[in-house]
Amino acid sequence: MQDFVSISLVYLGIYALSAWSLNLQFGYAGIINFGWIVFQSIGAYFAAVTSIGPMTSHSYQTYIFGSSLAFPLPLIVGTLSGAVLAAILGYIVLTRKIRSDFVAVIMLVVAIIALQVVTANVSLFNGANGLSGIPQPFNGVLHLSRAGYQWFYVGWLTVICIIVYLGIEWLCRSSWGRSLRAMREDEELATHLGINVQFLRLVVFVIGGAIAAFSGALLVEFLGAWSPDAWSFVETFVVFVAVYIGGRGNNRGAFLGALLVPVIFGVFPSFLPAFGYPGLSSTLQWIVIALLWLCTFYFRPAGVLPEGRLIVQREGQPDVSSMFRRGWQGSRKSLQSEGR
Amino acid sequence: MDLYIEGIGFGIIAAASIMLGAMGFTLQFGLTNVLNIGYGALMTFGAFATYLLHVWGVNVWEAVIIGGVATSLLTLLVAKTVLTVYVRKGAALFEMAMITFGVALILENGLAAITHSNTYILSMGLEHAHTIGPIRFTSTQLVLVIIAAGVFILLDSFLHITKVGKALRATAVDPDLARTCGIATNRIVTVAWLMSGFLCGLAGGVFTIDIFTVNAFTGDSLMPLVIVAALMGKAGSVRGAVLASLVLGIVTQVVSIAGASSYDSVVAYGALAVALLANPKLLQGGLVAERVQITV
Amino acid sequence: MTTLTKEIVGVSLDARGIVVNYDGVLAVQDVNLSLTPGEIVGLIGPNGAGKSSFMNALAGDIRVKSGVIRIGDRDVTRLAAYKRARLGMSRTSQKARVFDAMTVFEGLVTSVRGDAGASLTSTLRVGRAKAAEAAAAEKAWELLDHLGLQHIANNFGNELSGGQRRSIDLAMAVIREPSILLLDEPMVGVAPALVPALLKEVRGIAERGAGILIVEHALDVIASLCHRVIVMAAGSVIAEGTYDEITENVEVRRAYLS
Repeated sequence: MQDFVSISLVYLGIYALSAWSLNLQFGYAGIINFGWIVFQSIGAYFAAVTSIGPMTSHSYQTYIFGSSLAFPLPLIVGTLSGAVLAAILGYIVLTRKIRSDFVAVIMLVVAIIALQVVTANVSLFNGANGLSGIPQPFNGVLHLSRAGYQWFYVGWLTVICIIVYLGIEWLCRSSWGRSLRAMREDEELATHLGINVQFLRLVVFVIGGAIAAFSGALLVEFLGAWSPDAWSFVETFVVFVAVYIGGRGNNRGAFLGALLVPVIFGVFPSFLPAFGYPGLSSTLQWIVIALLWLCTFYFRPAGVLPEGRLIVQREGQPDVSSMFRRGWQGSRKSLQSEGR
Repeated sequence: MDLYIEGIGFGIIAAASIMLGAMGFTLQFGLTNVLNIGYGALMTFGAFATYLLHVWGVNVWEAVIIGGVATSLLTLLVAKTVLTVYVRKGAALFEMAMITFGVALILENGLAAITHSNTYILSMGLEHAHTIGPIRFTSTQLVLVIIAAGVFILLDSFLHITKVGKALRATAVDPDLARTCGIATNRIVTVAWLMSGFLCGLAGGVFTIDIFTVNAFTGDSLMPLVIVAALMGKAGSVRGAVLASLVLGIVTQVVSIAGASSYDSVVAYGALAVALLANPKLLQGGLVAERVQITV
Repeated sequence: MTTLTKEIVGVSLDARGIVVNYDGVLAVQDVNLSLTPGEIVGLIGPNGAGKSSFMNALAGDIRVKSGVIRIGDRDVTRLAAYKRARLGMSRTSQKARVFDAMTVFEGLVTSVRGDAGASLTSTLRVGRAKAAEAAAAEKAWELLDHLGLQHIANNFGNELSGGQRRSIDLAMAVIREPSILLLDEPMVGVAPALVPALLKEVRGIAERGAGILIVEHALDVIASLCHRVIVMAAGSVIAEGTYDEITENVEVRRAYLS
């Protein structure tokens, strides 16, 4: 039972990072990355092949690289791989004017192609069987039991999530974050204000891709294994639903979404006893997630914690040096103007 | 060389199902501007309908047609209930695509739950193979190709000769203008949903006859090629969809025969990605790239 | 009111032989324009004359088929729109554009030139970023006060009335202290009571040293503001001169009546 709690928390941390990365790309900048899962996956694979050690004559799996880099290098390599992939893809796909659902289709296609290529090309990442035996960091040093290590990982992820959250919040609340939203709201108007939309979009895509890859690297170091089963393109849908339900353009909302969707519906049922025919529960999960998405989008399109608005008020006399009091207002949709 | 000609033969047969699906998809997409990712689920429904009717003793070709009719009704139902609701709520293009994705998940997983994720076999019995040069095919496969070709000819004539057909094309190009010209766009859209649903069901039925099997996710294996073919032609252009289907069918089969079978889809998707990226104006001469309005 | 009366560094705008092609239709045929600092030039003409296309070409929103555009002595014909904006060009749009899901205040602060938000690295220089934010916020308040619109500072763009959208669209262009200001039908939909205040704002910008090109249908606005008027019809310039001169012009009358 203890296992269930610690593992759920680990997944919560991973999905939180995932949701923040997608929220940055989609919620704040309006980029429709329907191939998001590929970024998490590339981070996982590259972290794996740089920590798994070289292939030996006894190896039952084939892969590229195969170094045994010390912690935290595999994580860094994984994260960078996501950034590089995002830079390349972003440059090809995002620097053009394509309608939103077509961007989604193209990114989805990228995810499907990636899945095919990796599965078919066994020498890359061991094809459909995937990689296993990936060393967990610090395990040799700490000598913890399996349960103990799980809790250690929870602590490790908590630290990471706090740092990433603070970083992303700071970015999003800064004037840079404001240009993201400007770009999302009206690209041409943003251009007239001197914002280099193409470059901005690319930068956001790369940062989001890096965080996604980071989450993948962290996940693979926990699981010790990674295969194409873990990254079918439907997984992207789950993260989108999490961000939609939790609240787009709101990082706390994204965290809430990370809590609701994958953990409650993903992890929880896997600890329930199997009922019906084998595989029924996972089938039902998809139905539940889809229904949840449809209902939320109907009743509360902005999500549980919507983006909110920045309220500014003037204090004191209209003097250049006076301080402005700022506050965030949550879900109130309209503000009555104080008389005309 | 013979091998490649054989590939072309297989490609034409494969193109039969792709073509039917693509014609339906492009009609839907051209008229409503909704990228219906749930199309695959609807094809699965058509496939199952055909299978069930056949199991219950209906002649398989009649089963395909009845399956098509059933799918057309389901399509209309989904369109007029689910999709309309969200369009009224103000869903934009991408959100509509997500919604169709959600609907697809529910439909297909619902089917999976009911069928316990079993795969069923649709047997046509042992058949004699005919040969034309290096190409070998069964009577069934010949009929599939004839059905696809026949449907295309009928549809194309319908769209270009009949009044309703012309109204359809007009609404696809500019719904507001069509309305101003007195075309009852609501009814035209209903016709479009019904027709494309019918083609969708046909595609599912034909596909399942071609591959002998059906399960809750049958449509998913056909759908990507259907969407690729539909989007490579002009949105709303049936002729373009058919041409693209032929090309895709042949290319994927030839690639498969050339030994890189696991890459056949990659080639297809790659082709689409390149087509979309290189020239978004390829699709509807720029109209699709800018059109934001959804008509449901 | 210091920031609102500061002198603007004027830069001239020069366009020669501009040709704009829309899918085979020549929307603009060989049009010239010369705008000097402090000048307000009106651009009028019947619908479909190509006025907006010409303005779009100047701003960089569409590519010209041929011709040369210069800001100062710099050739900007192939320069991206956002770079022209950074060189001091500002514009409003025919359809009043505001940021729907951002407050008016945020929109204004984003519009301020040299806004630190344009680059990621500048946000890292925390001290400077904060100072820039405060300065931008100050400008935003001043302008809102000046226009009497403080009460909508916290409204989202999609909560504004049509007239308010126009005003804010103009405000976002004006707050950039542009050297060149392109206005596309800025008074359409504005409450008559608000028009004089906006006109005063436009005149003020010109007096501070900006060059302004204004497309308008309301001829009284043109008459009261413009030093010079250009008349376009069917893609070409058919007359140029002061307001009085062009209203007497026979060609112009024919173009408007036919």
